[in-house]
Amino acid sequence: MLARKKLLLVLLVMVTAIFVLQCTMNHQPVDFTTQVKPILNKNCITCHGGVRQKGGFSLLFRDEALAKTKSGKFAIIPGDPDHSEMIRRIALQDPEDRMPYKHDPLNQKDIDILRRWIKEGAQWGEHWAYVPVKNVPVPASKIIAKQGDAKSGWGKNEIDNFIGEKWKEQDLQPSSPANKHTLLRRVALDIIGMPAPAGLAKNFLEDSSDHAYADLVDSLLSSPHYGEKWATMWLDLARYADTKGYERDDSRNIWRYRDWLIRAFNNDIPYDQFLTEQIAGDLLPNATDDDFIATAFHRNTMTNDEGGTDNEEFRTSAVLDRVNTTWQAVMGTTFGCVQCHSHPYDPFRHEDYYKFMAFFNDTRDEDTFDDYPLLRHYNDTLQQQLSAVVTWISQNVSEQKSREVYTFLKTWQPSYNSLTCDSFTNSELSDTKWLAFRNHALCRLKNVDLQDKDQLIFRYAADTSGGIWQIHLDHPTGAVIATIPLPGAKGWTITQTKILPGNGIHDLYFTYTNNNLKRPEDNGAEFDWFYFTQELPGKDKAGYAGIKKEYWKLATTIVPTTPVMMDNPAAMHRSTYVFERGNWLVKGDKVIPDVPHSLNPFPAKAPRNRLGLAMWLTSKENPLTARTIVNRVWEQLFGTGLAETLEDLGSQGIPPTHPELLDWLSYRFMNEDNWSIKKLIRFIVTSATYQQDSKITPELLQKDPYNKYYARGARVRLSAEQIRDQALCISGTFCDSMYGPGVYPWQPKGIWLSPWNGATWQPSKGGQQYRRALYTYWKRSAGYPSMITFDGVSREVCTARRIRTNTPLQALTTLNDSVYIDMARHFASRMQKEAGSDIKQEIKQGFEWATIHAIDDKSLQSLTELYNTALNQFKKDAGKTGKMLGTANNGTAAETAALTVVANAILNLDEVVTKN
Amino acid sequence: MTQKELHNQRLLREAEQAVMRMHTRRHFLKESAMGLGALALGSFLGGCGRKEGPISNIVFDPAHPLLPKLPPFPGKAKSVIYLHMAGAPSQLELFDYKPELMKMDGQDCPPSLLEGKRFAFIRGVPKMMGPQVKFSKHGQSGAWISENMPHLATIADELCFLKAVTTDQFNHAPAQLLVHTGSPRMGRPSLGSWVTYGLGTENQNLPGFVVLTSGGKNPDAGKSVWGSGFLPSVYQGVQCRSEGDPVLFMKDPDGMDRDLRKASIEAINKVNQEEYTAYNDPEILSRISQYEMAYKMQISAPEVMNINEEPAYIHEMYGTKPGQACFANNVLLARRLVEKGVRFVQLFDWGWDSHGSEESLAIDFGFINKCRKVDKCITALILDLKQRGLLDETLVVWGGEFGRTPMQENREGKKMPFKGRDHHTEAFTIWMAGAGIKKGFSYGETDEIGYSAISGKVEPFDIQATILNQLGFDHEKFTYQFQGRPFRLTDTRGRVIDEILA
Repeated sequence: MLARKKLLLVLLVMVTAIFVLQCTMNHQPVDFTTQVKPILNKNCITCHGGVRQKGGFSLLFRDEALAKTKSGKFAIIPGDPDHSEMIRRIALQDPEDRMPYKHDPLNQKDIDILRRWIKEGAQWGEHWAYVPVKNVPVPASKIIAKQGDAKSGWGKNEIDNFIGEKWKEQDLQPSSPANKHTLLRRVALDIIGMPAPAGLAKNFLEDSSDHAYADLVDSLLSSPHYGEKWATMWLDLARYADTKGYERDDSRNIWRYRDWLIRAFNNDIPYDQFLTEQIAGDLLPNATDDDFIATAFHRNTMTNDEGGTDNEEFRTSAVLDRVNTTWQAVMGTTFGCVQCHSHPYDPFRHEDYYKFMAFFNDTRDEDTFDDYPLLRHYNDTLQQQLSAVVTWISQNVSEQKSREVYTFLKTWQPSYNSLTCDSFTNSELSDTKWLAFRNHALCRLKNVDLQDKDQLIFRYAADTSGGIWQIHLDHPTGAVIATIPLPGAKGWTITQTKILPGNGIHDLYFTYTNNNLKRPEDNGAEFDWFYFTQELPGKDKAGYAGIKKEYWKLATTIVPTTPVMMDNPAAMHRSTYVFERGNWLVKGDKVIPDVPHSLNPFPAKAPRNRLGLAMWLTSKENPLTARTIVNRVWEQLFGTGLAETLEDLGSQGIPPTHPELLDWLSYRFMNEDNWSIKKLIRFIVTSATYQQDSKITPELLQKDPYNKYYARGARVRLSAEQIRDQALCISGTFCDSMYGPGVYPWQPKGIWLSPWNGATWQPSKGGQQYRRALYTYWKRSAGYPSMITFDGVSREVCTARRIRTNTPLQALTTLNDSVYIDMARHFASRMQKEAGSDIKQEIKQGFEWATIHAIDDKSLQSLTELYNTALNQFKKDAGKTGKMLGTANNGTAAETAALTVVANAILNLDEVVTKN
Repeated sequence: MTQKELHNQRLLREAEQAVMRMHTRRHFLKESAMGLGALALGSFLGGCGRKEGPISNIVFDPAHPLLPKLPPFPGKAKSVIYLHMAGAPSQLELFDYKPELMKMDGQDCPPSLLEGKRFAFIRGVPKMMGPQVKFSKHGQSGAWISENMPHLATIADELCFLKAVTTDQFNHAPAQLLVHTGSPRMGRPSLGSWVTYGLGTENQNLPGFVVLTSGGKNPDAGKSVWGSGFLPSVYQGVQCRSEGDPVLFMKDPDGMDRDLRKASIEAINKVNQEEYTAYNDPEILSRISQYEMAYKMQISAPEVMNINEEPAYIHEMYGTKPGQACFANNVLLARRLVEKGVRFVQLFDWGWDSHGSEESLAIDFGFINKCRKVDKCITALILDLKQRGLLDETLVVWGGEFGRTPMQENREGKKMPFKGRDHHTEAFTIWMAGAGIKKGFSYGETDEIGYSAISGKVEPFDIQATILNQLGFDHEKFTYQFQGRPFRLTDTRGRVIDEILA
C-alpha cells in the first residue's frame, strides 16, 4: 500500500516536472551559452572550430557560421531551420552523410534545441566570463539560522545572502560558527600565512566584544607579514625564480622585484595600479626606480645560456611567455592555444595572438647573458652624484639631454648588443653570446642610428693588447668613421672613443687586426655592447670637467642590478609578424598592437604600447581582470575558487558555483573598493560563510562532499610555504627579517648539479636559515626539495593553480628533513623553557602552540606514551641522545631528546598541516 | 619453482590485487566521497589531436593518486627502463656504420649539406670526418656495432635499432625536453609522469617513477625532464641516489631507531584518529594511511637500493662498484627496482657531448671511456632481465637527445683541439629491447654518409607513442585537460612504429 502511494507520488512529480519543462521550453528562447554551445562544443567544434574548418564551415564566430560553406550551401540560415544545411545533415539516416561525421547521431532533444535556436535567429550568446561585470542584485532573504539562534539571523554580509540562496536549492543549513581558537588560527594563516603573533592572539582571545574579530582581521591586514603571504601567491604567477632557467640555470639578481611585491601588497596599492606598474611601469611618466623594478614581472622569463643556442629563438620564446603569462595570470585565460591556430573553443583568432604579442615584442631584451636591460642601483653617494650630473645637464644643456644621460647611467641603454652582429669572417659569437675578433676579423652591425652621434661607448675585454679596431660605413671597405686601438683588458671594461659625426641609419662593418696574435684561432677581443652617443655637451659651461668625471665614474662603476622592461627607441623598432602555425621561423603578415575584438574595446585615447595595454587590462569594462583576481583571492581563503579552474575562466573551464557572487564581488572590488585587495579580503573573511566551523557531518558529506556550497568552513592542507613558516613559529626559530637576496636554509647535498655551472648551495647562518619560505633561493631546475614535495612549483612558467596532493614523501619530509628535526629540537627546548618542568604540561603547551587549542585527554595520553617510550630508550643509550639532539651528550639531556621526538610528532599532526 | 614461475605468480597476484583495489576504491569513492574527490580530468573533446571523440578516462584522486590502475588495453610492457646518454652519443662511432664517410675524411663539407642549415657550433665550411673506430657485423641479425661496445655486440640479436631518428632541436636542454616531455620548452609532464599518472604504481612502498643520474651532473634540461609539468606534482620522478640517503628524507634522524619511529608514527596516527572523530573529514584517514605507507617505504626503499646483497657474480656481470655514484650501479638498481614493481625507471648519464673541445669530450678519447663505462652493465642488464624472465615485460630504451654531425666540429670557425662532432638533428640511433619489440631487428636507414634519414624516419613523438602503446595506451587518447584543452604527451604528432613490434 505504502509502496503504491510512493509510486503515485513519483509519477505525479514526474508529470509536473514534464509539464513545467514543456511550459518553459515553449516560452523561453533557447539560451546559446547553456543550451546550444555545449552541444556544439561536444559534437561539432573539433572539425568546425578554431583548429579545423572542414567543408569551409566554422561555428566559432557568428559571421563565419552564417557564411556560405564550400559546398555553396548555407549551414545556418537564421530563422529558417528547414533550409539550413546543418539541420539537414544532422538529421540524415545515411551514416556516410550524416553529421557528426563517423560518430553517433545527435539525439532528438539536441536536434530540437538546434532547430529552435536557428528558428529564433541563431544568436550567438556570450560566455559568462567575456561579458562585462554587472552589478548583480543581492538576494534579499537572509538565512534563517538554526534552531535556537533564530533571532539574530545568520548572515553577516552580502556574501552570505548569495551563499544562502544556493542552500535553498540544495537543502543545506549553515554550520555553527567556528570557535574563537579555530578562527584565530584560520584567519591568521590566511592573512599573514603563519600563526598570529602571541600578543595579538592573546588580545583577541581575551576580547569578548563584538568587534574583537574585526579588530583581529584589521591587525593582521596591517602586519608586514601580510605582504609576504600574498606576494607568495603572486610569485607563482610571475614565475619568479633566482635563476635564469634552461641548461646552465645560472643566478639572476631579481629579488628586488619580490621585495617590490611585498611592499605593494603591504601598501595595498590598488590592483589596477599594481598591474599597470608591472606591465608598463617603465612607460609611466617620470617612472621611478620602483616603477622599473615592478616591470621585472615580465623579466622573470627564462634566458638560455646554453652554448650554441639561437638568441633570437629564445628572445622570441620569452616574448611568447609574456603573452601567455599576461593572459593566464591577469585574465585567467588560456591564450597559448592561439599561438598555433584560432582558439578551438573561445572567441580568439590566430592573428589576435600576434597582435597582442606586438605589445611585448618591441623591448630591448635579446636573451643576453647579462639579462640586459638592467636597472642599475646606486648607493646613496653615487645617487647624489647622479642627481648632481643630471641637474647640471638639465640646467646647462637641456632637459631632453639630461633624461638621455639619466637613462644611460641607470641602464646602459639604448645600446646595441654585440650578439646582434652577423656576416662574420675571422670573428664569431663566442659561446654564441659575445662578438669575438680574431686577427683580420670582419663582421657587420646592422641598422645603427648615427644621427648626431660623435662618440661610441663600449664594453669589451681583450686578452691580447695591440689590436686595432676600425669601423666602416655601409661596406667592409667603406669610409672609416673610427680607428680604435684596443689595449689589453682583463675582464669587462667600459671605454669610449670619438667617431666621425654621422647622420641617418647605417650598417657598420667592423674590422680588426692584431699582430700580437700568434695563432689564427686566437681571439683578440670580445665585445658586450655598443652605445652610440654624443660627447657629453656643455663643454663651455662652468663645472664641466667635474661633471664629466662623475658621469664617467657613474657609467663605469659596478653596481647591483635588476633586469627590467624597456621599449626600443624608434630607430631600433622591431616589427611583429604572425607566425604561421606558431612556427617562429615562418613569418606571415605584419601586425600592429591590438587586443581581441571579442573583448572590451581598446581605450580610445590609450597609446598602442604596454601602457595602453595596461589601461585596457584595468578598464572596468575588461570582463576578466577583476573576476580573475577575486576568484583567486577566494581560492586562497577557501581552498577552491568560485570557479575552480583559476587558470581558465573560458568555456572549457569549470563554470563558477556562484557566478552571481563572483560578479557581485568583482563589481564591488572595482567600483566601491577601488581595487583594494585588503578590503576584498576583509570583506570575505568577515562573512559568516567564512567563519563557519569546518566539522563535516555525515549529512554534509553526503550532500556536498567537496564543500562546493560552503555550508561549512574550509578544511585544506597548508601550502608548502605555510607549512615551513608555521613550523618556524611553533619552534620559536622564526627570523622575522624581511627583504633582500634569497637565503639558503639547509638542504641535502647533491641537489644542485647543473651542467657548466659550478654553483653550490652554501647554507645560510646566523638566523638567516630561519627566514620565511618565500625568501628561499629558488633555482628553477632544482627547486628547494621539501617545498617541491608539498606541491610547490618549479616556476619555469606561470602556474595559475597548485594542485594539492597527499603522499608518503610529504610525510617523510616533515618527519626526517634535517630542517624539521632542527626545528623539533628548538621546539622541545622551548616547551621545556616556557612550560615548566611537568612533562604533561610541556606537551599540552606545545600542542597548543601548534594548534591554538587545548589538547584532548586521549591525544595527550598518546603523546605522553611516546615521550615515555623515547625517554626509556634515551636513558639507556647516551649516544642516541646526543645524536637526537645533534650535540655531544652531556648525560642529562635524555628528557630533551625524548621531548624532541614528541615535538617532531606534533609538527607532523594532520591538524598542524591542515587549516581547520 | 623457477624464477619465471615465481614471477608469473607474482604478476597474477598483483593483477588480482589491482583489480580488487580498484573495485574497492570505486566503491569507497561512491560511498564516502573521499577527499577532494575523483575528478575526471581526462576529457571529452578532441583539441589539437588527430582523433576525435571521447578519450581518456583516467581518474585522478588527490587522496590516493598512486593507486594502481589498469591500462585501456593490455600492454606488453609492465615497466620501462629508459637509459638516456645525456649530451648525445655519436651514432657514427656506435651503430650507424658509414664506410663512404671514411672516404671523404678530411675533405671540405659539400655546400649542399650546409645551405640553409643551422648548427649549434659549426661555422663556415667544416671538414668531413670518417668513423673513428672499427665496425663489424654481429649476431644472426648481422647488426653493425663498433668496437666501442664489445659487450653489447654479443647480444645484438636482442636489440632493435631505430637508425633514422630525427629531431628538430639542436640544443641539449630543448632536445632532451622534447624526447622526454614531447615539447622543447619546460612545463610539460615527462614520459614517466604520464605513465605513473595513467597506471599508478604497483608497489605502494616504493615510488612509481624513479630517476637515477650519473656522470656528475644532472641532465642539461635539469629536473624538468622528469618533472610532472601540469600533472599533479605527485607524478614527478623521484630521484634516488646510489650514495647517501637513497631517497631524500628517507632516513630517520640520527638517534631515532626503527622502534621509536614506529612508536612516533603510531602516536601521530592516534592523535589524527582523534581529530577524525571530531571532524569526520576523510582526508584525515588518507593522511593516516600516507604515514603508514611512509613507514613501509622507509624499509622497502633502502632495501631495494642496497646492491651489496647482490651475489658476487652479478657484481662481476655488471661491473658495479657499491658505494659509488656510477652508471653501472644505477643500471643494476634499475633491474632491482623493476623487479620490485616500480613502473618507470629513468637513467641519465651525463658526459656524452663529444665536441672535441677538451680531451674528455674527444670522440677518440673521452667518448671511448664513456662507452666502456656503459657497455658492460647495459649488456648485463639485458641478459639479467632475460634470465629472470623479466625482459618480456620490461621495455628497455637506450639513446640520446640528438645525433652528431658527419663533419668535424669547427667551433667559431676554428680548428678544435680534439676530434669532435657537433650536434645533429637529422639522424641518430636509438635502440629498444624487450616487451614485445622485435629482436635482432633494425629499422630505418640514413644516407651513405649518415647525414640524413632516408627511410624509416621516426621522431621522438613516434618513440613516445610506441612506448605508450607497449604499456597499453593509445597515445592519441591518453590526455589531460589543462589550460582549456586536452594535452597529450605526443601533442599533435606521433605514430606507433608498428614495423618494430613483434
